[in-house]
Amino acid sequence: MSPTITKSAVFLYLLPRNIAVLLLRAYRMLISPLYGDVCRYYPSCSHFGLQAIQQRGLVLGSALTLRRLGRCHPWARGGVDDVPPVRHQRFRVTTFGFVVMNSDGRA
Amino acid sequence: MDIIGTILWPIKWAIELILVFFHWVWTSIGMDPTAGATWVLAIVGLVIVVRAALIPVFVKQIKSQRKMLEIAPQLKKIQDKYKGKRDQFSREAMSRETMELYKRTGSNPLSSCLPLLLQMPIFFGLFSVLNEAQNSKAGVGPLSSELAAQFGGASLFGIAPLHSSFSSAANAVPQQVSVMIIAVVMVILMTGSQFITQLQIVSKNMSEETKASPTFRQQRILLYLLPLVFAFSGFTFPLGVMFYWLVSNFWTMGQQFIVIRNMPTPGSQAAKAREERLARKGIAQLADGTPDANEPEPEPKPTQRQQPLGKNRSKKKPGKKSPQ
Repeated sequence: MSPTITKSAVFLYLLPRNIAVLLLRAYRMLISPLYGDVCRYYPSCSHFGLQAIQQRGLVLGSALTLRRLGRCHPWARGGVDDVPPVRHQRFRVTTFGFVVMNSDGRA
Repeated sequence: MDIIGTILWPIKWAIELILVFFHWVWTSIGMDPTAGATWVLAIVGLVIVVRAALIPVFVKQIKSQRKMLEIAPQLKKIQDKYKGKRDQFSREAMSRETMELYKRTGSNPLSSCLPLLLQMPIFFGLFSVLNEAQNSKAGVGPLSSELAAQFGGASLFGIAPLHSSFSSAANAVPQQVSVMIIAVVMVILMTGSQFITQLQIVSKNMSEETKASPTFRQQRILLYLLPLVFAFSGFTFPLGVMFYWLVSNFWTMGQQFIVIRNMPTPGSQAAKAREERLARKGIAQLADGTPDANEPEPEPKPTQRQQPLGKNRSKKKPGKKSPQ
């Protein structure tokens, strides 16, 4: 496959999660501060959602986030609760949070 | 029915029930069933029911905050370990360790995301109930088409319909200036109350350590940008929904005020002010701030010195409490 086709295929594949990343970043920047710190976990629910979607994509990431939201109630003990790690991290995350292809070209 | 509609259905049903109940209450004490004030007071009733239902969550949070006093030395140790380290990596490690400590000691002072998650659907439920009532369409539950027509037609001060928003009023021919003015006033009140609540927390109820952190400085910049965001989104909501928001904000402000006064964060300015206040009343204080005199408190550990009793406490029987 030519590099251009691979590149656009990867771009399309990553598009749903990147749109979600943009929305989550906006939420974390504009709406989250309205309420201050409320989450009983580290990383917070929205941060967890961001990481989950970056690492697992929109569908799996959203499912993981919903499960986490269900765990975040006043009777939970809270604590550290990370996204279950993936074995192969195929993509790179930019400073803003977008998921992109590794710079060496191997997707 | 779509997914969101299905999720909102029970919420809308409950909202309608509460609204109709309060409308009935106000009407039966002689208020005009079609008046805007009656329906606005029904919305106030809705806020009271929702926020009162959330009080147990709030109490739980305060109890955990009390436990924070016990773990203060451990917390200090973590803070000292990362003192002066401003990079993201250390900050993250510090948050992790703090959360771990909260979990281990069962003293998590945060309220969790559940109350927020509960409030949002209520907000959108009310939005949708108002929208449908505007067309005199009967609700999903107790809101009959007759009541819906009243709700949709109810107007504030007889001039500003509850279902209209700033944007709808601006686009109407002719423009509804009164609605626009009321919407602006409400946005200002809303922004103001939000601002006061935040400022109250920031200036009074934060320890010096938190104030020095970079996250806090970032939050403070946002605090000044927020009113703009807030005002912008406020313009698109109907007056009825804005009223819900506004009253809810006032509730938060009052709740916050009571908490900051009586249960301040250890080491904050409010805690110092409270110690001074209590000292003036003639109650001896420990450095970490003893709980209020008229509230029950756990038996002091034997190593602590016997505290002189205040007026209220001396009335209590000493043998009643069991040591924990």
